[in-house]
Amino acid sequence: MTIAPRPPNVVMRLKRMGASHPTRLSFLRAQIRRVAGERWRFARARFELDDDGYGQAVYSLATPSRTYSLVAFSTRLDDSRRTDRVIADAWDTSFVLYDGLPDVAELTRLWANVPLQEAGRYTARELVLARANKSVRQFNAVIDALAKGDQPHREDLLRVGYLLRTTAVYGNGKFGVADRDEYAERPELSGPFQAEMLTVWLIRAFAFDLVEHIAARRNPAAARLDAGLRRALGVGNATGLGMAPYLVRHPVLVHNWYFARETALARVRSAPDAASDACEAFAAALAEFQARVALWRTQDPEQACAQDALVADLDLLSREAPRLLREAQPWDALYRFAEARCSLEGQEACVALLLEPHGALIDDLCETMSADERQGHRIDGGLTCGAMRALLGDVYGWANAIDFATPAANARFWYVSADKLEPRLGERFEEDGAELEQPLAVARDALALARVLADEDGRTPLAEFLARRPEWRHVARRAQTAARFPYAEIRDNLIAADMRPIDILRAKLAFFGARNFDPRSDRWLRITLFSGEPGIEEICASGRAA
Amino acid sequence: MIELSLNEVDALAARAARGAGFSWGLADDVGRAARLLAGEGADWSASLLALLERAPRLAPPGAREGAPLCPVRMAAYLNDASTETGALVLRDVALPVWFDALLKTEGLWRVETDLLAATADATLTRGASAAPPGARRASIWRSAYDALNALAARLYVPESDRSRTRGAGGSRVDED
Repeated sequence: MTIAPRPPNVVMRLKRMGASHPTRLSFLRAQIRRVAGERWRFARARFELDDDGYGQAVYSLATPSRTYSLVAFSTRLDDSRRTDRVIADAWDTSFVLYDGLPDVAELTRLWANVPLQEAGRYTARELVLARANKSVRQFNAVIDALAKGDQPHREDLLRVGYLLRTTAVYGNGKFGVADRDEYAERPELSGPFQAEMLTVWLIRAFAFDLVEHIAARRNPAAARLDAGLRRALGVGNATGLGMAPYLVRHPVLVHNWYFARETALARVRSAPDAASDACEAFAAALAEFQARVALWRTQDPEQACAQDALVADLDLLSREAPRLLREAQPWDALYRFAEARCSLEGQEACVALLLEPHGALIDDLCETMSADERQGHRIDGGLTCGAMRALLGDVYGWANAIDFATPAANARFWYVSADKLEPRLGERFEEDGAELEQPLAVARDALALARVLADEDGRTPLAEFLARRPEWRHVARRAQTAARFPYAEIRDNLIAADMRPIDILRAKLAFFGARNFDPRSDRWLRITLFSGEPGIEEICASGRAA
Repeated sequence: MIELSLNEVDALAARAARGAGFSWGLADDVGRAARLLAGEGADWSASLLALLERAPRLAPPGAREGAPLCPVRMAAYLNDASTETGALVLRDVALPVWFDALLKTEGLWRVETDLLAATADATLTRGASAAPPGARRASIWRSAYDALNALAARLYVPESDRSRTRGAGGSRVDED
């Protein structure tokens, strides 16, 4: 029996999206497999840092057809200026992913701009712009230990989980860097956020080199960082509200991500039996997951409760899996067991674990996860107002349960701040500025359009209605897109009083491949990228993905 | 001159159009057309400023007389409508260069008009015009850049003490 993908009404709910875990389809995993499979070559083309680790470095990556470089600048930063907020104006380290290998003139140009980040200007040679701050707690502790010939304290180090923490990674034309269109046809960068993931992976290599360099300048007999610690450490990232509207503004892309993941899950659940090597790989992935969860630290009480439940769920799954995997359609039996018995965290962890042993069955789906958002632009204005109203009822039927007349349902508004041009969330009934609301209240606006259309002659073409009432144009466009792409919409109220933006952020970050989600409020969280994954220099040397 | 990526052109033009009073959906259309004009190497920014300045006085589709026709609203109608066929002649289209670009984004109509005129008649026939070879970057004079950003800034909400502490979820020096 073929199992259908889980429907959008189940998948696209904020609570479940906020319990997402990375899978083997996540973007950094896809990148690691490509780099290994194509045997890219890594080189430290320049490493010009002083005794304190300040200066510049260039790491080059040779793909079968091109060279890319990480250009890294490390500069002195007063502790009082080190903030993760996007409003910061100075950072410990700053980076670009450069298309090619920069010559001295290009490096000079980059030196004058990259440390300034948003205040600099960039060209189409720069694919990604990023910056990172040091972990105040761990960066110097690691150097001190290495310089003494010791290893840093494992528990303390892994509690933080990184040496450098990115506070922004910009691509796709921002501040003048290359538009994604410029490289979207290159196979190695065509998947979503592949240039960004490559940049972060290279920053991780730079972070290890940086601490070892400073330690070695202090003591030529300094220790190298232990290979196990290197593997466990990732690049930290602080992600705030700015990322949340992205998912709403890219409905076709979001559909493609979720459709790929749900198709993968359906393929695995539909498999008639479980090969013994797949069962072993599943058990190994589960054990690794349990070990990782044991190290997962959060200060957020809600997340801490969710993790306690997750630990219990994983124990239950590890006890029951051997029995369930002997049933007919064993992977489906396992999933249905998780669905019946586990928390949302546990269910979504189960999804990730089910996908893990099945690369040959599902990895091709990575090729379907990009999107050209322009395909959602054309409005079919030949549709009648009556048919459009019916379409809204079909696509946004889930929203009928929300009563937007109540203050709690209409409590917030998304806006852009004048100070930093960043997305913010305001309280509609307590703050000024609601008249400048961004069009992200999707459900409310769709229901409102349906009501307005009820007053129109049902036979009127939509084009005529929109010519008279252009204020509904974006709502009609979006609804027609969502009708074609069923996983396009987050099926929850994005302006509700109890909406937690971190659920949106985690959903996106899990697709990147992030781990160790640590909410610091309801609107920003810490994560690590590439923790537990091999280094790019290891992969390039060995040509094997772990 | 400032060099811009085409995504920056698209975003800046859309925000400026919204700031000048176009609806969100029409502003998105303007952004896409700006990207297309910039890709053709046309001077998109000066003509956009002229369009946004005149927009409040331009006529919507179906208006009987008086003001020149709004190219944004008319092109939106033609891009949406599937019932219009054959050839059409439109009198007094404002900023025909924008009318042409907006129609090119969907590729359903070919336009004959005076692209350099402030207002001109336009003859339309069904069918796509050949896509021009695209430039990948655009440039803009500082004065136009500032003027478009000033229009875009009408959408931004000034920070208050409350929003500074609450809106983004807390500000502090990092302790990790």
